This record gives sequence, structure tokens and C-alpha cells, in this order.
Amino acid sequence: MTKKRSFWLMPGVSLFLLMSGFALPVAAAASAGAEEIMRRSAMVQFYSGNDMKAKVTMRLLSGEGGERIRELILSRRNVKAGGDQKYFILFLRPADVRDMTFLVRKYPLKDSDRWLYIPSIHLVKRIAADDKRSSFVGSDFSYEDVSGRAVEEDVHTLLREETLEGKEVFVVKSVPKDEKSVDFGYKVSWIDKGNFVLRKEEYYDRRGSLLKVFTAEEVRHIQGFPTTVQRTMRNVQTGHRTEVRYEEVKYDIGLADRLFSERSLRNPPGALAR
Amino acid sequence: MKQVLAALLLAAVSLRPAATALAISVHGFLEGAAGARLTDSPTRPKDATLGEGRLQVELSRDGPADNRLFFKADLIADGVEERGDADLREFYLDVSPVRVLDVRAGRQILTWGTGDLIFINDLFPKDFVSFFIGRSLEYLKVGSDAVKFSLYPGPFSLDLVAVPHFTQSEIPEGERLSFFNPFANRIAAPGERLPMREPAATPENTELALRVYRNFGSYEGALYGFRGFFKEPVGMDTAGGTLFHPRLSVYGASVQGPLSGGVASLEFGYYDSREDRPGTNPLVENSSLKYLLGYERELWTDFTVRAQYSLERILEYGAYEASLPPGAPERKEYRHLLFLRLTRFLRYQTVELSWISFYSPSDEDGLVTPQVSCKITDRWSVALGANVFFGKKDFTPFGSLDTEDNLYLRLRASY
Repeated sequence: MTKKRSFWLMPGVSLFLLMSGFALPVAAAASAGAEEIMRRSAMVQFYSGNDMKAKVTMRLLSGEGGERIRELILSRRNVKAGGDQKYFILFLRPADVRDMTFLVRKYPLKDSDRWLYIPSIHLVKRIAADDKRSSFVGSDFSYEDVSGRAVEEDVHTLLREETLEGKEVFVVKSVPKDEKSVDFGYKVSWIDKGNFVLRKEEYYDRRGSLLKVFTAEEVRHIQGFPTTVQRTMRNVQTGHRTEVRYEEVKYDIGLADRLFSERSLRNPPGALAR
Repeated sequence: MKQVLAALLLAAVSLRPAATALAISVHGFLEGAAGARLTDSPTRPKDATLGEGRLQVELSRDGPADNRLFFKADLIADGVEERGDADLREFYLDVSPVRVLDVRAGRQILTWGTGDLIFINDLFPKDFVSFFIGRSLEYLKVGSDAVKFSLYPGPFSLDLVAVPHFTQSEIPEGERLSFFNPFANRIAAPGERLPMREPAATPENTELALRVYRNFGSYEGALYGFRGFFKEPVGMDTAGGTLFHPRLSVYGASVQGPLSGGVASLEFGYYDSREDRPGTNPLVENSSLKYLLGYERELWTDFTVRAQYSLERILEYGAYEASLPPGAPERKEYRHLLFLRLTRFLRYQTVELSWISFYSPSDEDGLVTPQVSCKITDRWSVALGANVFFGKKDFTPFGSLDTEDNLYLRLRASY
């Protein structure tokens, strides 16, 4: 192994130790500030590994019993741990979006650059949609719920520590600094003290009524990274909910930076598609 | 040929399970579409503008090393033209002989540039008739029989397209929509056709299109070049009584990037009309300069606005004016065109309300296209819309279609 390679592996290894609760005594973690808790949680949720790929199935369930399915392959590459990221999505189902591809260059503190490729007219379109509000493919998740919200955008307060379904958790309230930029008033997060996985999150509207509830139903350790493989976002005001399953999750595949490009949008390479 | 294609399509659909076993993916849709005139057209006897059933079959097979064979064709039962038809939309092979090169050979749909329904450097064929009668957007583009080389050396990317066999854009020519007859200087009468002469398929008539592009941070820049023919028949051969597609070269550039919460774009093109550079021949389109400014932003959740302004300047306008025979319609030196698209999603993006409008203050004409579409389930979708044209003069692009307002309905089942 060359020196360069081991350097690149380092963040992954130290993160793993951190998340397993091995390197850091729980008592020390408990004293960490609310913002630090949210930062560590974001690292676990959105930055595990240098890169990642998964097959994602979303079930969009209306209050009246209607069901729609979105199936896609999601690839992610961290440009910098905790910083810029690139996402590539290939849609598999339903038929009217099949073979559509989607490329995102995400910057924590400014708007993402996003491109959508529409196969029927072979058009690469720059997308102007707003990350913070837009629904991801018509689901209850916003783009931000899928790819993360910068910790710096909210003011965080540790409300209490309690037990949730047998797990010791931090309960953190986060209030957006720019209230006009989002469609919620504030959110409350339940974060596992042991591995910083987000177990539950409640979004409240500007009047203080409960709007959406996120729950993590199943967390698995994959290549040492705790991974939420089954999650649900429920809109309690409309009765609509979205259940998401992550399968075939792989970390540190070695996805090259050049794969996250217009070339791949038009002609997705096997590395991102299969 | 069409019968062979039709038989192949039906076989592909009926043998779908077998195809899966051969690792061939089979998809497509079945669509019914109907459209009718909203106003009486003095020149078109039929009330129907659209009435067809369409079966689309798409076959693809991925080979080793990201090679791919792709086929897409439509089988059409057309009630307006009272005939059956088969249309080979796309049929190409993708190969990547070396890491920095992709080659696509065969019939393919090509699209580039920054415009939304306004094209400057995209000189690939289009079907405006389909757009004007309410077919789905994918039918606006027509395949080119071409070879495309895409090169990715690193700091920039390059596309070079060679089109040995010319394909023209579909324009209103009397079958469904009225058109202005420049020989008669009026809207064409029923049954009137314009004889057209396409460029011969000779090696020296091979069209070339080039795009060089790269990103500068969040901004994208591109340079374009084209050598070929106008896609519309903007040349008149009065001796032979035919329209033709004059020789054209285009040089252009575009930039696109984020601007105050939205995306802004600017595109430019210089059209060099090689058969009438001095502009003294009134029968051939002059050279021109074209500019397009675009801005798109999501104003609030699930509501997006796109505005565009396009400016076209006819070059050698003095020579054009001087050469115009008396009584011939005179175009203005500057054509201004405003475009607005509003898109609103409702009910978890299953319902889309869309408004597209064009208005030209210089030509005093325009088009308004409102549409409601609904995804009933993942499989079934329906769209209802209208095309309303207006204009004061018969010879302007939308004015010539003033009596062609139509309402359309499409129902599609995807598989």
C-alpha cells in the first residue's frame, strides 16, 4: 500500500472508531455541545466512507391507500469529509422516469449544482429547484433530507437525554437561522448516543404544529458503518408517507471523480449503474 | 420496410418474457391521443388535428465495456391522415474504443444548447408540427442518421457529429396545419403543397456539428460550430417552383450558471447563410445574429418560472430590403421574442399545471400552451391541453397559424 492510499483511508478508519463508540467514552460524548452532536450525526448519516452506492426503493403511500414506487441507484462521493459531495442517481422505476439520471454537486453552504438528463429527448437540463423545499421525486423527503442539511444553518439546543426504544439518545432542537429559507419552523432530533445515528426526527411547521416525522426502522453495520437501511417519513398533516429501503449498500468502492460528469448523465457507466 | 418494422415491433412486445431471458430490456407505452380545432379554419376542412393510437417499443441490450445497442420505434394508427405507419425513432450502437472516447453510430436524437424550446446552436432536426398539435414533448425532436464522437481528454469535453444523410425539420405544410405560401404570398389553400428539394446525400453534403464544453466551478461554458444546411426550407427556387434548404454555417457560444437562487443562461450564434452572404438574393434567407437570455427559478415550493428573451438580427438588412420585390411581405430587421414557462406541481408531483407562452412584440404574434397532466398511477398518465396561436400578419411564424387553435387529450399506459 502506498503512502497516498493509506492517507485517503484514514478519515474512514477514524470515523469508524468514533462511531463504534470504541475510541470515545460515552460520558465524553454526552458533554459535547448540541452542535457537535449534530455534526457527528451528519457525518454518520451522509459522509460514511469515501464513497457509497446503494439500490434505493421508495414506496410513496397516500392516505387513501394509493401506492407508487420509485426505484433508483444512488451513488455518492465525498470530495472532502464533511464538505463538498457529488451524487449520481439513475432511475430504474417507474417506466416514465426509467433511465433518467441526475447529477448533484453539493456544497454545504451554498446552493447545489444540479443536472437532470431526460432520455426521451436526450436533453441535459440544468435544474433550478430549491434544495431546501423541493420534494425529492414526489416523496415526503426533500432533497435536503436525502443529502443532508448543513449543521451551520440551524441553532441547536440539547433539550434532554432519554431512552428511545431501548437506546440512550440525545434530543436536540434545531431552529433555522434563516426561517424563510425552509418550509418548517423547527425540528427535534433523537440521536443515538452510541453511534450518532439519527433514530427519529420531528418537523414542526411555523405555527408549531407537528408536520412530518422521520423514523429509522432498521440500522445495520455495513463495512463497519452504521447504515439506516429502512426509514420512513410520514406527513402527519396529509396522511401521506414514504418508506425507503436501502439495499446492496457498498462503501469505499473507489468511484472516480470523473464519473460524476455530463458524460455519465448521458451514458451511465457500469460503475454507477449496476 | 415499414411492414418489417411493424412486424418486428409486435413480435418484440409479444415475446417480452423471452427477451428478458436474453438480457434485452423491453419497454415502451401505448398511447391514445385526440385533438380538435377550436376555431373554424377556412383552409383546413378537417376538425381533427390529432387522432392516433401509438405503440412505442424500446429495446436495449448492454454489452461488455459499457457498449450498448438501442432501438426505439413507434407503430402508429393515424386517424387524421387515415393510414398506419411505423416510425423508427432511434437505432444506434454505443461503443467506447478507448477510455477517453465514446462513439454513437446510427439514428439518434441530438440535443444541446441552453434554450427551452428556442434553439440557436442546436441545429438538429425538429418536428414543430407535433409540438403545435399537442403530441408529447419527445416528438419535438427527430432522429438524425449520424455518427457522434465524444472525446473527454480531461480539461474540456468535445462532441463531433457527422450527419451524412440530411434530415429536415417538420414544419406546417398543409397536412394538419396551415402554412404561408411564399410563392402565392398568402395562406395556402386546401390541398396545396409546397414542393421541396432536399440536399443530395453526397459526401460533400455531410453535415458537421461541433461542441466543445467545460465547467468553470458552477458555471458551464460551451463553443459551437456547424456546417451544413438550414433545417427549414428558407430558400426559394422560383424557376423550379420548389423550396430548398440553403447552405448554412453557424458559430456560437453559451454560458450557464447560478444567479440569485436560480439558473441563468446566455447563448449566441452567428448564422452564416453561405448562399446569400451579401444579402442581395431575396429568395434565400440572409445571415443573422441570434441571442438568447434565459433565467429559471423555483419561486416557491413546486412552482418554477422560466423566462427567456430572444433577439434575432437580420444582417445585410439594407440589401434585403432593396432586393425585395414589390408587394412581398417584409420582415423586420430585429425580431424580439419573449418566452414564459410556469410549472406548478400539486399532490406530491402527480399533477402538473403548466403554462408556456411565446410573444413577439416585433412580429405581433405568439402562442399560448396551457396544459394539465396527471399521473394517475405509476403506469397511467393523462394530459389535457391547448395551443392558442395569435398574430396580425399571415407571414409571421405564429401569425400563419392563427386559425389553428386546438385542444388535445392524451392517455398513456407505460410498460
